Amino acid sequence: MSSPALHRRRALRLAAAATATVLGVTLLAACGSDGDKSASGADAGSDGKPVSITFWGWAKGTKDVVQAFNASHPNIQVTFEEIPSGNAGGYAKISNAVKAGNAPDVFNVEYPQLPDFVSQGAVQDISKLVPADLKGKYLPQSMELTTLGGATWALPLDASPQALYYRKDLFEKAGVAVPKTWDEFKDAAAKLKAADANTRIATFFPDDPSTFEAMAWQAGAKWYGTSGDSWKVDMAGADTKKVADYWQGLIADDLIRVQPSFSQQWTASLQKGETAAYLGAAWGGGVLKSTLGTDPAANGKWAVAPMPSWDGQPASGMLGGTTFAVSKDSKKAKAAVEFATWATTTPEGIQARIASGSSSAYPADPELVPVAKAAFKTDFYGGQDIYAIYQDAAKAIKPNWSWGPTMGSTNSAMKDAFGKLGQGGTVPAAVDAAQQATLAELKNRGLKVAG
Amino acid sequence: MTGSTTVPGGGTPAARGTRKRRGPLGAPAVLLAPFLVLFTACTLIPIGYAVYLSLFSERRSGLGFGGTTTQVFTGLGNYTRALGDAAFRDGFWNTAQYCLLYIPLMLGLSLAVALLLDSALARAKRFFQLALFLPHAVPGIIAALVWTYLYTPGISPVIDALNSAGTQVDVLGHPLPAIVNIAVWEWTGYNMVIFYAALQAIPREVLEAAVVDGAGPLRTAFGVKIPLIRASVVMVGLFTVIGSLQLFTEPVILHDVAPGVVSTWTPNMYAYSAAFERNDYGLAAASSVLLALVAAALSFVVTRFTRDRDEKRTQKRTETAR
Repeated sequence: MSSPALHRRRALRLAAAATATVLGVTLLAACGSDGDKSASGADAGSDGKPVSITFWGWAKGTKDVVQAFNASHPNIQVTFEEIPSGNAGGYAKISNAVKAGNAPDVFNVEYPQLPDFVSQGAVQDISKLVPADLKGKYLPQSMELTTLGGATWALPLDASPQALYYRKDLFEKAGVAVPKTWDEFKDAAAKLKAADANTRIATFFPDDPSTFEAMAWQAGAKWYGTSGDSWKVDMAGADTKKVADYWQGLIADDLIRVQPSFSQQWTASLQKGETAAYLGAAWGGGVLKSTLGTDPAANGKWAVAPMPSWDGQPASGMLGGTTFAVSKDSKKAKAAVEFATWATTTPEGIQARIASGSSSAYPADPELVPVAKAAFKTDFYGGQDIYAIYQDAAKAIKPNWSWGPTMGSTNSAMKDAFGKLGQGGTVPAAVDAAQQATLAELKNRGLKVAG
Repeated sequence: MTGSTTVPGGGTPAARGTRKRRGPLGAPAVLLAPFLVLFTACTLIPIGYAVYLSLFSERRSGLGFGGTTTQVFTGLGNYTRALGDAAFRDGFWNTAQYCLLYIPLMLGLSLAVALLLDSALARAKRFFQLALFLPHAVPGIIAALVWTYLYTPGISPVIDALNSAGTQVDVLGHPLPAIVNIAVWEWTGYNMVIFYAALQAIPREVLEAAVVDGAGPLRTAFGVKIPLIRASVVMVGLFTVIGSLQLFTEPVILHDVAPGVVSTWTPNMYAYSAAFERNDYGLAAASSVLLALVAAALSFVVTRFTRDRDEKRTQKRTETAR
């Protein structure tokens, strides 16, 4: 892809006209060539030679996991490449590589995007490599999300129950108790703002709909369903509407900040204590700690609480959550699955990840929660047993949610509509736009839509 | 040159004969081959491939999982889909607004600076040329990142200073001026150099004649200098229009911090988002081809328009000379 900068240096007028015509086009064509996968034939080191597989991911602590795996597995060597997180361009990179035929053998994909990757034909069916006893190890809600159309497509690394991270000192100063319901959350937001006009309770992420989606899930919505061979899309239901109206209200009353997720603005605002809480998931504990923990003064100020709910009873959706998928053309699926199994279901695999210090993943294999808990250094949270909170939240994850095969389009549409918040856009309008875009994309792909 | 029988400008009859015997495809073919090979490989084939891609759509069966995926010929379906998408049309609208704001501003500024540097009053010309050109030496991505930093409340010293002075500035909420500002910063110096070079090439006697006729500096600038460098101004204008149509880097970087810059803010971003966020290569190819057609049409209009004007001027001049 060429930039206008390069382009404009051309001195010849004609050349300029000609290249202009071409530029937009080459952008695409450059990405389409079908390379030859360096298929070195047979699987796993039956001939004694180690199999080497390639792996792309961005989940925190992955480097340490790969190192530990390579050290203990002389027959399989994993080459890890850290890519930007999915939302920040990682997914584009992966699907592009799959199209071009130079995808890694195994890569990370989050639950919401897995159906999209499966539908694109970017992921291979690993049902035969995943025996029933392995499936039984994972939390059922996680396994549900990696089983699509009756086949298994990926192995879940973490369940990602929601959690509320908050600044104890700021809440105390404003005389605010930790909110248990969304009504209390709104009151708390108002009190925090009243105590200090520059303080807001938390952040609404316009660039990343996954938090909003988890909120809808928590409220009992079911966006995607199937009946026979047809998809049902329901983002307009009462549960979603309740959530959309609630957040729109907070934004309209200026009780919540609207800032891109994990941006410099967001970080700066947390560092200055202008934002008092973060509506995240289990994995967010490690992110928050590694983002803010560099400042010794921040240590011990943060705490974790269950996400507020509508009726005060524990309830959770899943916010993101990572899986390991094997790419379509990989000839080393067996080795890839062996690596993924090790990384997700062995104490060593989980221990290596959490001990890296930057991850607070909640293992999708519930038996490993004590391992994760023991490995996580919790000084940043003042010694709080954060895994106990995650554990209760994981039990409260609402079942039967599924993601649709067009999450790329759904999320793009929602993001772009969220981008107009404050300039005439509203949260309900964004949900509406996402519903329309989803239906259009399903039809465009030749999939049947019911109702 | 002693002993040579060559007639200047001609070549011996023998030499001419040899050239003829080699045929018309000899030297020209050899000289053109590298260009043609590259042109075919890097331009024609990709265009052809993009056009081909733009005519197909992927269709899946069942729920879309593990079933068959077929490439279906959809004719101009992708084109009508792109044109029917308000987001794509908004992209052109954003680009048009950008051009309306950016082109006059940048051209005016660089022309003004070039004229100032060219005027007799200017001091430390070399220093100012370099200083003004420096922003252009910064790669576009870096420039966009630096400006993003300066725009972001909470981390930008400028915005913080303005805020503490009581002025609430929300740059990120107004993406158009924010992007125009980056572009002006990047390109003014570069185009100033082009204009300055053109100004330096104006025959001094013309300027002296103007002075003798009693024209002041302003009159000289507007009545003599600018008309004489019209060709440069038009050329810069053309490049700027084409460059603006392909606006991509700056808004993409701003997209990360300013959600108001949607993922389809310019037509180029629309194609990118279609290909890489929505995995719709047919739509992406179709929108790229449409963008290319618009760029080609605009270039044609501008070159045609200016050539006509230039021809008329040359004609006039020859007539006056007679």
